[in-house]
Amino acid sequence: MSFVWESSVLAIIAFGILYFLLNKYAFGPLFSVMEKRRELVLQQMNEAAQTREQAVSYVEEQKQALQTARKEALEIIEQSRQTSSKQTEQLIDQAKVEASRIKEEAVRDIQNEKNKAVEELRGELGAASVKIASKLLQKEVSSDPEQEALVDQYLKEVGGRS
Amino acid sequence: MHKSPIIMLGGLHIDLSIVLMLLVTCTIVFVLALLATRNLSVENPGKLQNFLEWAVEFVQGLISSTMDLKKGKPFLSLGMALIMFLFVGNLLGLPLGIVTDYHDAEHAKVFGKEIVSVTKELDKLHADAEAGTVNSDSHEEPEVGVAWWKSPTADPAVAMGLAVMIFLMTHIVGMTRNTKNYFKHYFEPYPFFFPINLIEQVSKLLTHGMRLFGNIFAGEVLISVILKLAALGVGGWIASVLGLIVWQGFSIFIGTIQAFIFVMLTMVYFSQMLETHDEH
Repeated sequence: MSFVWESSVLAIIAFGILYFLLNKYAFGPLFSVMEKRRELVLQQMNEAAQTREQAVSYVEEQKQALQTARKEALEIIEQSRQTSSKQTEQLIDQAKVEASRIKEEAVRDIQNEKNKAVEELRGELGAASVKIASKLLQKEVSSDPEQEALVDQYLKEVGGRS
Repeated sequence: MHKSPIIMLGGLHIDLSIVLMLLVTCTIVFVLALLATRNLSVENPGKLQNFLEWAVEFVQGLISSTMDLKKGKPFLSLGMALIMFLFVGNLLGLPLGIVTDYHDAEHAKVFGKEIVSVTKELDKLHADAEAGTVNSDSHEEPEVGVAWWKSPTADPAVAMGLAVMIFLMTHIVGMTRNTKNYFKHYFEPYPFFFPINLIEQVSKLLTHGMRLFGNIFAGEVLISVILKLAALGVGGWIASVLGLIVWQGFSIFIGTIQAFIFVMLTMVYFSQMLETHDEH
């Protein structure tokens, strides 16, 4: 085994050329690609974190919206319940008033009819009594208004007593 | 022991097997990296891209375990290139070996160049044979084997070359980015520790390179020894096959571990050079 210093120089030269070529044609592009991938992964991770944050805030928003909607629905139900009970009362009151009014009117009508019937009956009775009286008295009692009034008065006294 | 095919080129000793194996290693690593980064995709990476990214994250883990990752970012591609180069280099010597034998100096030639290591060895063997004619009982022809295919890191010069490269890099980084602390740390905790600190630096360099070389070289030596077992007959052949299976598996483990350790130590040395004592 001999030590030839020229071999050392050859080795250094060969390695130098190899290093230069590798650096230029292989490692440069490789390192840049690795760097690019690192950036890509970093960017995607950032994006994922952002998306997650957005999702969380969105869910929170939705929850709040749901809460307010529920509250509003409850309010509306309560309100409608109140108005409906009020309306019922009103309707009942109205119906009562109407009923009493109708009843009153009916009573008044009956009174009127009764009065009218009594009046008519009285008139007819007067005329009939006059006729009867005239038939009885023949010509003694003329049918002038003075005598008729007298008969009427008499009959009224009779009716009022009866 | 196999020789290295060394030729003289312009006054320099060029080890052809090292040249070949460095070329093969660099080509495999580069093709692998290119295949892995051919269809780069951010969202749908392929299998090879996934594997390379796993390696990148592994090296990132190594760096961040020794220093602040922000400070260590410039060393990421260095660590990646180192670990891929060493991993492939450490494992290359395992699957096969190419050995050529030479008997005389006339034929020991490549591309018309003399393989000096072989001719020198042959000359030595011939001289020994002539000197020992009296007690040499056989007329064995001198033979020299040359290994062409082996792990580049199984050569001490290559392993030390890489270690020296890291050594220079760490010290340059320390001097330029951490000047005050760099020069101060040689005289800590007391000025007379200076020689010890110097020795520490040198020993770091030596152990860094020699650990890698020793592990890989020993693995290949043991493989060649196990292969020689096969010459002992049927029993030896069976033993060598079984031994090879076990040792090849273990060598893969060692090659991986050594690549990891080399890169890990590189990062530790960088972090030591960048260390500031402000936070204490």
